[in-house]
Amino acid sequence: MLKISDLYVGYTSVPVLNGISLEVPEGKIVTMLGANGAGKSTTLKAISGLMPAGFGSIRFGGAELAGRRPDEIVRMGIAHVPEGRLVFPGLTVSENIRIGSYLCKYSKAELKRNMEHQFALFPRLAERRGQLAGTMSGGEQQMLSIARALMSKPKLLMLDEPSLGLAPVIIDQIIDKITEINREGTTVLLIEQNAELALAISDWAYILSVGSVALSGPSSEIGRDRSILDAYLGG
Amino acid sequence: MKGMKNFFREYTVFIVCALLMVVPSITSQYVFYVFERGVQNAFLVIGLVILIGYSGMMTLGSAAHLAIGGYAYGIYCLLGLPPVLSAAIAVATATLLGTLLAFPAFKLSGPFLVVTTVGFGEITRILILNLQSLTGGAYGLSGYPVVSQAMQKYLYYGMVALLLLVILAVRRLGRSRIGLALKAVRQDQVAAEVMGVHIKRAKVAAYALSSLLAGLSGVFLANLTGYLSPDSFTGSESATYLLMTVMGGMSNPTGAAVSSVGITALPEVLRFLYSSRLMVYSLALLIYIRVKWGRKRRVALVKPSAQGAPKPKGGES
Repeated sequence: MLKISDLYVGYTSVPVLNGISLEVPEGKIVTMLGANGAGKSTTLKAISGLMPAGFGSIRFGGAELAGRRPDEIVRMGIAHVPEGRLVFPGLTVSENIRIGSYLCKYSKAELKRNMEHQFALFPRLAERRGQLAGTMSGGEQQMLSIARALMSKPKLLMLDEPSLGLAPVIIDQIIDKITEINREGTTVLLIEQNAELALAISDWAYILSVGSVALSGPSSEIGRDRSILDAYLGG
Repeated sequence: MKGMKNFFREYTVFIVCALLMVVPSITSQYVFYVFERGVQNAFLVIGLVILIGYSGMMTLGSAAHLAIGGYAYGIYCLLGLPPVLSAAIAVATATLLGTLLAFPAFKLSGPFLVVTTVGFGEITRILILNLQSLTGGAYGLSGYPVVSQAMQKYLYYGMVALLLLVILAVRRLGRSRIGLALKAVRQDQVAAEVMGVHIKRAKVAAYALSSLLAGLSGVFLANLTGYLSPDSFTGSESATYLLMTVMGGMSNPTGAAVSSVGITALPEVLRFLYSSRLMVYSLALLIYIRVKWGRKRRVALVKPSAQGAPKPKGGES
């Protein structure tokens, strides 16, 4: 579904990605692991068009993504849940979710049905639909951020550290939701600091180290060897 | 109670416009002129509601947009075009030139953008001052055809009717998909981009709409005064328009109309105070800003987050 080959990306003159290649097959959960600065977030930003790709190609279902604008990429079916959630603090929960469908010109009934679908997935948000997003807890904001991304009915959902700064109980809830979303047919590309958790729910894992893929394989195999994880992720 | 409040919020605009409609029949010529100016300012200020309130792009150069509309009307008329056509082309000119300001706004935000708009305002004013053959320079521009004294009343009725339409349209815009996108751009550009909002297009749209309204306001101004001078388009005028926007509630077009009329009238109302007039004017504004108008709901909502993220002790005082 998504295939990145030999991708180079840099901030001005400093290269961040040094020829990364990875593949996300349809219907799977693929996770990217790696220490800080390995280039995980940059990879996602390059896919969603927030950062220009230097060299290399990003192909999504046969179409080239490199050089396209973010709105075109959203329209093609890729939704990005950015690091740090980035909800719109001064808008209500409902308004935040509505913005997720900005590019899909839904009819009123479709919009409502789609919103109710998100509220069914995250009942906590339904209780708070009239509340300003900035006044909610981190976990609720994360749920909102995911619900917002799902409004465009993406084929591929990219999550950038959804567990960042959340309590363990909440992390479990979020992770459950991610597997649920995947079961409903959305392909997931997940970045996680919590390697154990990410490997437990994913089908395939890539370990990034200073801008290139150090190791990849089925998550079950990678999870088995603690020494590998310790070497690349610093325990 | 809540139903009544919503009803009030929905229909205040009609009450306001109805009150404005009866003004010419019950007031003196002079008070009527003040109201005319207030309604004329309202168009500009509602434009600022779109630009500042919805989209979060602060500006201190709005007087320049007004000046372009007014001067363009006068100059086109003096070039021999019929007044109605001049008015249309003047609004188009103001929209076009104002939209150019969207280009620096692609990269700039916050204080940097404000400085750019101040620069735009000053450049426009100084150009008007020095292009004497075209604009009359410091002598001002006059002699172009204006709506006659007898017709002023009808111009005013037309302005109020148009104001009603503009308020309804801008309110609708604020609740629409595009309005939501503008508000998203104000709050978090990266998140808005990830949602598929074309940031540049959104900013151009905001500038175009607000300078269109500013141009319209300028054409009305030219017709009301019959005389334009660079002194009426200084930075302090821009600050007054910003003040009107803020006091109207930032993203509330009806409030913007009320505060435009109110603040335009305030110095005239206070004229009996002679030299202490400006002091009382400032005091009235300060008191207004300090009073929390119906903010109770807002405060109640903010509290839970304050508990969630404790602030350092004594950080707020």
